[in-house]
Amino acid sequence: MNRILLLLLSSSATLLVFGLWIPLKAVVAQELLALAWAESQARQTETRPWPWADTWPVARMALPELDRSMIVLEGTHGESLAFGPGRLVGGLPGEGPVIIAGHRDTHFRQLDELAPGSGIRLQGQDGQWQDYQVEASRVVDSRREQIDTQRLSPDTLLLVTCYPFESLDTGGPLRYVVTARRRNPAPSNRLEQIDTVAGL
Amino acid sequence: MMLSTTLLRLSVPAKPANRARLRRFMEGITLWLAFLLLLFVQPLYAEANVADELQPGLLHFTDNRGDWQEPALVLDSDFDVTVSGLIADTRLTRHFRNTSDHWREGVFVFPLPEKASVYALTMTVGERTITGEVRPKAQAREEYAEARDSGRQAATVEQQRPNLFTSRVANIPPGEDISIELRYQQPVDYRDGQFSLRLPTTLTPRYMPGPMLPTGEAAGWSEGWAIATREVPDADAISPFTVRPEDVAADSHRASISVSLSAGLELADVTSPGHELETRTDGQEVHVSPSEGTVLMNRDFVLRWRPVHGSEPVAAVFHEQFDGEDYLMTMVVPGAASDLTLPRDLVFVIDTSGSMAGESIRQARQALGRGLDTLSAEDRFNVIQFNSQPHALFMAPVPADGMNLARAHRYVSRLQAEGGTEMASALSLALGGAGSDDTDDAARVRQVVFITDGAVGNEAGLFRQIREQLGNQRLFTVGIGSAPNMHFMREAARWGRGTYTAVSNTADLGGPLVALFSAMEAPVLTGLRTQWPVADAEAFPERPGDLLRGEPLIQVVRGVPPEGTLSVTGMAPDGKRWKRTLDLRQSAGGTGLHRRWARAKIDSLLDRARIQGEQPDEEQIVRLAMAHSLMSPFTSFLAVDSKPVRSGNDPLLADSVPTLLPAGTSAGMLRYPQTATISPLLIALGLVGMMFSAAIVLLRGRVGL
Repeated sequence: MNRILLLLLSSSATLLVFGLWIPLKAVVAQELLALAWAESQARQTETRPWPWADTWPVARMALPELDRSMIVLEGTHGESLAFGPGRLVGGLPGEGPVIIAGHRDTHFRQLDELAPGSGIRLQGQDGQWQDYQVEASRVVDSRREQIDTQRLSPDTLLLVTCYPFESLDTGGPLRYVVTARRRNPAPSNRLEQIDTVAGL
Repeated sequence: MMLSTTLLRLSVPAKPANRARLRRFMEGITLWLAFLLLLFVQPLYAEANVADELQPGLLHFTDNRGDWQEPALVLDSDFDVTVSGLIADTRLTRHFRNTSDHWREGVFVFPLPEKASVYALTMTVGERTITGEVRPKAQAREEYAEARDSGRQAATVEQQRPNLFTSRVANIPPGEDISIELRYQQPVDYRDGQFSLRLPTTLTPRYMPGPMLPTGEAAGWSEGWAIATREVPDADAISPFTVRPEDVAADSHRASISVSLSAGLELADVTSPGHELETRTDGQEVHVSPSEGTVLMNRDFVLRWRPVHGSEPVAAVFHEQFDGEDYLMTMVVPGAASDLTLPRDLVFVIDTSGSMAGESIRQARQALGRGLDTLSAEDRFNVIQFNSQPHALFMAPVPADGMNLARAHRYVSRLQAEGGTEMASALSLALGGAGSDDTDDAARVRQVVFITDGAVGNEAGLFRQIREQLGNQRLFTVGIGSAPNMHFMREAARWGRGTYTAVSNTADLGGPLVALFSAMEAPVLTGLRTQWPVADAEAFPERPGDLLRGEPLIQVVRGVPPEGTLSVTGMAPDGKRWKRTLDLRQSAGGTGLHRRWARAKIDSLLDRARIQGEQPDEEQIVRLAMAHSLMSPFTSFLAVDSKPVRSGNDPLLADSVPTLLPAGTSAGMLRYPQTATISPLLIALGLVGMMFSAAIVLLRGRVGL
């Protein structure tokens, strides 16, 4: 009896640890990514956060209303999404539509708190910040709808995450999509905002 | 958690023993070991769920106001192909059936073989048949629009790319159908003793590089989903909706295919890499059709046939008279040359763009793997992948030793397909390395193998780039997927002085690739020249250039009567002169030679304009096309009925008939990614388990066990 109890207890604890490990990894990875991002800005190259990573930081995204800032990675395969939101398509912020997807359980947990009018800021590798403003958010069924990148206007930013937020189902078809549009193009004399770390 | 329970069960003895300390200690250790083991394997399943969504995607057409529009036109096609000698003549009938209650205009963008010469169009409405005529493109559009608006039935077919056409059919009555019959001929491919023929049925959605043009500027003919970009101003005309077979009516997008081969040779076998075949021999002719009856139009139909061993032709001459002129077509196959091989610099370029996702990238990875296997120790190589940007495995070509090859194999096996198809930068990277003046480089043969589906819209710009950057290198293209852009494969290889090949499916990888790589290893017959008995004969291709092993020289000429001899000369790799003569009096009768000649002439006019960077001579091309009744970039076919059938009060709705997504590729548009982790589930399960155990402990305390 004792043994069964021990077994149950340890397996539950294991589950719990694994469950907590995912958000923990998401937080810790962001710190490492911040270093890689600073380096890639300083060197103006793609810098992989660790040598075997198959992704690299492409932008920094700030949500001033939620007081959050995170590094956006290239690609949306599970490997990159575990560490940060992933850029699905788009050039650098400011030249064409940008689509960023993130996990609803980690980085994009608070996406539903973005109301129309909220600001989103994106910083590209050149250090320029682009200001976006949330226009609308909606729930789409990914079985019935796809993202038609050719029809998005170049100043669009889409944030995509899974829906509903509290669901336990990982393969659900619903997605929560926040559409934002760029405010008037950023003036070019804002170079002082480049926060590079020299010597990395 | 299966793992932990099994492990524990294994380590725990079947009979519960006394409370021996040792055993408890062992149990504790085992538990911790199991726990650590789990931690170790954790990344295997703690990652996000990245499995592709397998639910079928639905795509509906919406009109300008965003209302749903059900596809109303059902389409089926009928390929009737006759092969005689080196030319295949096809009668392609498309039936547009209107299943709605409204009058419809059908628009269908479809591919044809890359060297097809379209020479006739007939429209059949009920009992009546209207024969189409060649018109200059703008005039055909105008007359078509006029007929459509006045309620007359009309059909037009125009060329968007040499292998991409748009057909429009106006005023299809509700519940009825209209058939469009196109006739075209295409050259039969002959290489390494094997003939092959490809009937494209669909197209891979193409990537349109460049910034987008404002939508307002688009012409009134935009039916596709891509918006014109600066580099591909006609993007909207060459990108139809691409849907899955489940999304069209069950009986739509089916093709019946029948091919009759009168090769004039005894055939050893007739095969198709993608379809099961049913063959019937009827005297000299062999009739072939897919054994499943009608086939779904989501993969190209490829047919290959081979003469019995020993009777492979090495030369042929065909003759035809048209409009008082003599036309001759000749084929010469140089035999295997010497076995001299030179060390090579081989650069593999692999397309990892989104259009390659699915089966295509697997094929491409395998093709590349086979290419790596052909390298010998003195060769050097590099691997470049590209999607939105190129990425090279090595900074410069490295020796093909075991370590580098192993690294390359590992790199290739991990390639994923996503992103755009920015081919220009990849080409620069691959071709750009030629400039180094290393003394060792001079003796090396530089070859570039380009593995792609060619799903791009800016072909012309890429060909120009290849021509400018090629230098002394050779570019070989390998077409991947169910519907590669063969026009791109052929032309890129032609501008790159190499050859092209296409792989249809994974099982088919062997044959074509082995032939390609062995041809690449073998030296080349260079500086080929033909000497026709008539001095000012117009022969195409004008300068045959170089030939790789197994490749035939084919030339078509006007104004040469079938008399005298033709001599072909060239330079063998060991510096010796190579010469072959052919008696033209032996010529056999052929059909369609004049069209092939005219098409080649038009192509050469277009080429010349492209090289000189100026506008092609439109007037001359139109004149030539009209004389031979041919479709060209500047001429379209038009068939218009004389009397109106639709009164002005009935509305006419336009319906773009979608093309099918090529088998094995992922959807043309982006799918929403999977963005949930199993973390909440794990936490919940863990907590439930903990609570449950706590409850048991408490209970035990109460009961006093």
